[in-house]
Amino acid sequence: MLGLFAPIFAFLIQQADVGRGSLMWQSARNPDLSKFLVIGALLFIIGVAGVLTRRNIIVIFMSIELILNAANLNFIAFSRYLQDTGSVNAVAGQVFAVFVIVVAAAEAAIGLGIVIALYRNKETIWVDEIDILKW
Amino acid sequence: MILQGWEAVFFWVFSIAAIFAGLLTVMARNAVHSALFLISSLLSVAALFVLLGAEFIAGVQILVYVGGVMVLFLFVIMLVNVGAEEQGRSEILNKPRQVAVSLGFCLLLVGGLLFAINTGYRGLQKRDEAKLSGSAEQRLLQDQTLARGATGTSRITTDTQKVGNSLYRFASLPFEIASILLLVAIIGSVMLARTLKQEAAVDDVDPEVLLAKVAEEADLAEN
Repeated sequence: MLGLFAPIFAFLIQQADVGRGSLMWQSARNPDLSKFLVIGALLFIIGVAGVLTRRNIIVIFMSIELILNAANLNFIAFSRYLQDTGSVNAVAGQVFAVFVIVVAAAEAAIGLGIVIALYRNKETIWVDEIDILKW
Repeated sequence: MILQGWEAVFFWVFSIAAIFAGLLTVMARNAVHSALFLISSLLSVAALFVLLGAEFIAGVQILVYVGGVMVLFLFVIMLVNVGAEEQGRSEILNKPRQVAVSLGFCLLLVGGLLFAINTGYRGLQKRDEAKLSGSAEQRLLQDQTLARGATGTSRITTDTQKVGNSLYRFASLPFEIASILLLVAIIGSVMLARTLKQEAAVDDVDPEVLLAKVAEEADLAEN
């Protein structure tokens, strides 16, 4: 088994050695602001996909938390960037992140209260069955 | 802003963990599994906050999100019945056509955001090239001036102090408004989650009278 995979590993190590000087390897070894922004964007899109595709209203709420968290990641990354460029009030991004967390907590409390009231009246948590407003 | 050495390794570990946990949150069949994956995603993002030098926000994230909000989520999952979904008797996604359209929209969003980040970041880099050139070394020098912790191996950061200064100097009015928002949220969720019996007790109405009235209204709505 090991003998079968040894040439593959050798090839990969060789490739890694060759790639060590390349630009991509350099940028992967030293992640900067853009990497954090990409991670934030991916988390945001995963959250959007969850909101749009799931039927369970509680999972939709969790996806919204994911979206808010991605926004927070962007705020903190830019805060660090501004600290490095020597901006005057660079921690403003962190202050804003505190407010985002406060709003997320309030939103979760209200939203889950609505879910419980809805479940008590309609006996369902599937969003496609909650269609009273549909003509 | 550039991470070096072990920081870069931890950046990749935690960012990949955050993205995979986020994906599993959206894809898990059981809502409890979703909540647990969301907790691990939030913890990974908190670790990224620590890498970015925002220790205070990382702590708040763990205390408020993981300790507060997610526990609330788990309580609600236990209160409502999600048995059909986890046993595979019920569909977890919307209708196939809706799913296809929304995934197409998400792909467009990926392309748009990656393009915007790429071009925008290049412009930003060009603008701040001079300011950023020695920033990593400068940060290391700054860290040397910080007081040592009790064990002597780590430094005590002044991040919390800076956030507090900025919060009360520049954002004291939003801070007060946030407290009112939390008050409204408390009152609202208590009002929403009351049962009919509790509602009747508060409004000083006989529960039977209220039930009869509700039944009457339901009849009217049906006809």
